[in-house]
Amino acid sequence: MIIEQAKNVLTIEAQSIFGLIERIGPEFEKTVEMILKAKGRVILTGMGKSGLVARKISATLNSTGTSSLFLHPAEAIHGDLGMATPDDVILAISNTGHTSEINRILPMLKNMGVKIILFTGGLDSPMADFSDIVIDVGVEREACPLGLAPTASTTAALAMGDALAVVLLNQRRFNKDDFKRFHPGGSLGERLAFKVKEVMLTDEHIPTVPLGSKVGQAIEEINAKKIGATLITGKDQRLEGIISDGDLRRALINKKNIPEMKVEEIMSLSPKTIDEDETSAEALGLMELHAITHLVVVDEQRRVKGVVHLHDLLGREGFIANAGINSATRAHS
Amino acid sequence: MQVLTAPRGLIVDIITPFTKGGAIDGPGLRKLLNRVSPHAQAVFLASPHTGEGKNLHTEQRVELLEQAIPAIAQNPIPILIWVTQDNEAESRRTTIALKRVIEKRGYMGDLFWVDTPLYYHSNRGLPGLYKALCSVVGKPYILHNDPELINGLTKPLKRNNIRTAVLKELVSLEGITGLIFSGSLGRVHNYHNACRRRPHFRIYDGEELHFLDHPSTSGVVSVGANLAPKAWEKIIQSSLDLSAHNKDYPDHLQQIWELGDYLRDMRDLYLQAPAPILKEILSDMGIIETPVCTFQVEDTKESKSRLKELMTRFGDYPVRDC
Repeated sequence: MIIEQAKNVLTIEAQSIFGLIERIGPEFEKTVEMILKAKGRVILTGMGKSGLVARKISATLNSTGTSSLFLHPAEAIHGDLGMATPDDVILAISNTGHTSEINRILPMLKNMGVKIILFTGGLDSPMADFSDIVIDVGVEREACPLGLAPTASTTAALAMGDALAVVLLNQRRFNKDDFKRFHPGGSLGERLAFKVKEVMLTDEHIPTVPLGSKVGQAIEEINAKKIGATLITGKDQRLEGIISDGDLRRALINKKNIPEMKVEEIMSLSPKTIDEDETSAEALGLMELHAITHLVVVDEQRRVKGVVHLHDLLGREGFIANAGINSATRAHS
Repeated sequence: MQVLTAPRGLIVDIITPFTKGGAIDGPGLRKLLNRVSPHAQAVFLASPHTGEGKNLHTEQRVELLEQAIPAIAQNPIPILIWVTQDNEAESRRTTIALKRVIEKRGYMGDLFWVDTPLYYHSNRGLPGLYKALCSVVGKPYILHNDPELINGLTKPLKRNNIRTAVLKELVSLEGITGLIFSGSLGRVHNYHNACRRRPHFRIYDGEELHFLDHPSTSGVVSVGANLAPKAWEKIIQSSLDLSAHNKDYPDHLQQIWELGDYLRDMRDLYLQAPAPILKEILSDMGIIETPVCTFQVEDTKESKSRLKELMTRFGDYPVRDC
């Protein structure tokens, strides 16, 4: 009995999606064209379970290259309507087409010149009359007894949303690198669990010049190691200071003949440091706290062991792909 | 022919009330229709089981429609009437006789002929038959697929369901607007696939339990709504959201759940012999004159008494609103 009931539910839900296939037609094409032409965002709206579906579709659109946000219909009439602009496209979801909260906001959005797309099973509903494009996501039956909760109808709306997101993705020629740019989360979590010593730059990759060097030499080191700074070290590689791009800019305003000056004249004396056994998450927190992009890794005697850069914490490949930064060797690679 | 869209929602499978002498109980029928029609989207007259249509000859169905029209005119909702007889010629004669009634009465409301084609015809040639019928009878058809009814025939046909491929052809005819379906869930999925090209084609649940378990968005043909029209209306409103009523009150789900259980329990009690049991209760409620049926009635005392008890608990007995 239990297995039979479960099978019935899944069959009904599957049928609800099959039912959409033959109904995909010119209206769907118009929807895609409207969204591609829109200068603004796709604003999803819906109440109850349809609202949850709308949120998911909005998230899918965002992660596949279509800028989107969710507008709660009840909040909309209390001010949130202000987030919509005439450049946006509204995508409303209502199984019946009678949802009163959405019915209240559609005329206002229409007046603002916002284009309206509706996913509904209520093709003759007032909401359908107000919409520029109506996509039929009606189902033949619900899987839940007594219609206590929308089941097959929300599945159908969700599937149609996925169809829309994927078609838009293809139309925009969204590629693997774009996808990576919007999905740093998975790899980021892993990276932040690394110890600092596993991600820091070491040995010849550490930009460093000794005390007494000329600033010109420091500039060459900064250019060569490409992390926007160089360390100034004393006896036994003890950390004495740091010269960053910022220090150079500030020096340029006040000084003349910068390359001939000694590094001690412009270096910062107290660079932020971290122990090599701390986690990357701790390093990232320190960088955020002090609004800096690198930390010097030192031992108890302040001897330089390495340098960790923000890029190494967040994934250098992603930055390379998106910001044109060259790769650098990490300590563990 | 101007084609109507078949109604969506609750279709009440009306019992056919008789006087002691066996004539149609006109006042009883009108009382019953006045009671149920404000809560329904359509009424179904002379249905084969509950409406005893299997035993009603053409003249009785004519009389039934004539008696129903004045009551329906007060609360205008679509009428569905079963036109099937033992053979094709007789079915056509019944349909034409009923058509004359609405012409004579100048009835302007929506009316649909309900036909069970396999009762008198095989699957072969059905599209041709309906092509001819639609051009003659001037009102749209709703087909009726009921394997149990076909199995009960003395000479059952080879197939007791309309073949899906045949249905697909039938659906291409404008004059066929819906289907009342009894049978397995698997078959109804195939039927839905066959009908998808017609956006407003309705497939109604011909069995209440199907609707209560997995509601069809077209609606249901309900027997129990003769007794508890308000309860069925509430279930329909909740399942199909016809009026987008506010469901946000705190115990909505609990109320609907309890109401669903009530309707299931009711069904279990009248399932043994729907027409006689419903008539007994409606007669006791003073809505119809007698519980007379067109066939021999089994002993239904226990079911009747338990049904009354159940209805009393839910405030549907004794009658509050007729």
